[in-house]
Amino acid sequence: MRQSQFARYRQTSTSAGTVADPADQTVPGLAKEARVLPEGVATAGILLVVWILLVAVSAIDKANFLSRETLLSVTFTMAVLGVLTVGESLVTISGGVLDLSIPTALILPAWVMATLLVDGINVWLTILVGLLVGIAWGGFNAAIIVFGKLNPIIVTLGTNFAGFAILGIYVQNAVIPVHSGLATFGKGYSLFGLPNVFWLMVVVVALAGYLLPRTRLGRRTIAVGGNPQAAKMRGISLRKTRFGVFMTAGLMAGIAAVLFAASQQTFVSADGTNYLFLAIAATLVAGISLSGGSGHLWVTFLSVGLLSTIPTSLAFFGVPTLWQTVPAGVILVLAVGLDGYRRLRSAR
Amino acid sequence: MRAVLSASRSTEGSETSRRNAIGALLNSPIGSIAITLVLIVLIGLFWIGTSFLTGSNLNIVSTSIAVPLLLATCSAFALLAGVVDLSIGASAGLNATIFAALVLHHWNPWSAALIVACIGIVIGIVNSVVIVRLGAVSIAATLGTLSVLSGLQFVANGTAGSVTVLVPGLYHFANTSVGPMPLVVVLLVVLVVVAVYVVTSTRLGRHIRAVGGDERAATRAGISVSKVRVGSLILSGLGGALAGVLYIGQLGGATNTLGSDVVFLVYAGVMIGGYSIIRGGVGNPAGGAMGLLVIAGVTDIIAVKSINTYYTDVIVGALLLLAVFFDRIRGGDAYE
Repeated sequence: MRQSQFARYRQTSTSAGTVADPADQTVPGLAKEARVLPEGVATAGILLVVWILLVAVSAIDKANFLSRETLLSVTFTMAVLGVLTVGESLVTISGGVLDLSIPTALILPAWVMATLLVDGINVWLTILVGLLVGIAWGGFNAAIIVFGKLNPIIVTLGTNFAGFAILGIYVQNAVIPVHSGLATFGKGYSLFGLPNVFWLMVVVVALAGYLLPRTRLGRRTIAVGGNPQAAKMRGISLRKTRFGVFMTAGLMAGIAAVLFAASQQTFVSADGTNYLFLAIAATLVAGISLSGGSGHLWVTFLSVGLLSTIPTSLAFFGVPTLWQTVPAGVILVLAVGLDGYRRLRSAR
Repeated sequence: MRAVLSASRSTEGSETSRRNAIGALLNSPIGSIAITLVLIVLIGLFWIGTSFLTGSNLNIVSTSIAVPLLLATCSAFALLAGVVDLSIGASAGLNATIFAALVLHHWNPWSAALIVACIGIVIGIVNSVVIVRLGAVSIAATLGTLSVLSGLQFVANGTAGSVTVLVPGLYHFANTSVGPMPLVVVLLVVLVVVAVYVVTSTRLGRHIRAVGGDERAATRAGISVSKVRVGSLILSGLGGALAGVLYIGQLGGATNTLGSDVVFLVYAGVMIGGYSIIRGGVGNPAGGAMGLLVIAGVTDIIAVKSINTYYTDVIVGALLLLAVFFDRIRGGDAYE
């Protein structure tokens, strides 16, 4: 039985032996994609309906909700969170469960960029350095995970503990120079009068969602997350894939840091803490399963939108700002519960 | 002659087995955490001097450890059963606020404590419904309840951001010392000893470890996995409530961020002490307590030397990674 399975595996692998990359012919990633598609569409539909309902109810009750100010406040919030959520989702899809180092991953590049800009370094060079710092942070996490063979949750908990403390020592009050190109970009608006940073986020989410099932690294990410042992059997390097995933997540944090620095005049390290919870919530609300191997990045656009609209909507209903974290927490608990329920059902 | 030989051989045998036992102990999680603790004390003695072990300093260290130790001892049962409860810190903060507010509104402290205990149990039940009944991933689910509870804590503290109340009996209880040790900590040490006994030498402890170690095997052995997990999550919620009351005794009030830092401290401590948040069934309450002592020792050395307190977190983060690394080398969970 076992032998025949192995023989079959060998047969398939030799029949397609001319293909250079084994992941290119791994149907599981794509098959899973196809199987999950209806569920992804269902999640997207539910999110869209809830989001529209929230906007509609707010608008009917408070006519001035549908104003430019609301739109700007929501889209600015969406920009940084959207890009961070892409990184977090990639880690979750790859089977790494969660990346808990988001606060450090966001503030570290942002702080480096603020320091360089104050020193009068060219803005493009600054952005390049910021992105590289983000990638380096992801690579640092991946090195400990891969070479120490340690679980990503514990590793990112530890590196964030240490990294965030070091940032606490050095980042007292980072300032982005008002006349720097970055600040001008962050304050600017383009298409439909929406912020530049928002459109950049849309491009990143769209591109990441398009590339995930269509590139070698993306397909390997899905395959490793779905079943690491099977992926290894097919000759996919777990180490390389994990480095790729965490460095891409680091790149996303770097891009988010560019948007964050561009739209923020000053910041302290503590500004990063809230994004961890929000990015995890947005990932799970988008229906990306914590067991890994499935999920649609495009859906995160809707979950990020919903989570970013809630605070503004609550403010319009006169709910004191003190209540702010409660609804997002309830939504997170419901999303995690639904995720667990689905898995229990599919296990049966 | 033969008898003498065999006798000598047998003593030799017992000696090697004793040496093996000592080696095994040094190699075990408890052994390495004990060595780390001794090292911290030695560093303190050499760097700070004998004042590191004076009564007043011991009193400061053990007072600071009281709430984390209470939380760790209660919620480590959940870890052992294979579920993580991240909501304990926020639960302690919210319960401290509610307890203080009730006493301010002229409630009897005992009935206020009873109400708070009920709230703790309800939090445990809510966590169990989501985690055990719906099968949610515990870290993410309790991160959600953490957010809800800390939001409610903000609301309960109102615009002032804090509640101040002095409960004479409770304040006296929390600040009584037995020799250099606060009475509360002495009682907590007793609690830890009881917990060690339950975990290592009772049927209940074996069942909890079995559930955390291998869910399917435990089910096959006739242990109710859900009952054990629900029970441990309720105990964890109750621990949060008690910690809230203890906070009021120690601090005489609550703020809207009280307890937000303690959860990471508790989990770093118990993980340094040999527990795992990824895999149940491993760990020992004594190890967890020593892990918290290591963190408290590092914090104390850094405070006495008036070094920037952020370095405590840097050291704790590094210790945490080292601890899980050595645990992995020892045959713990490898991530591949």
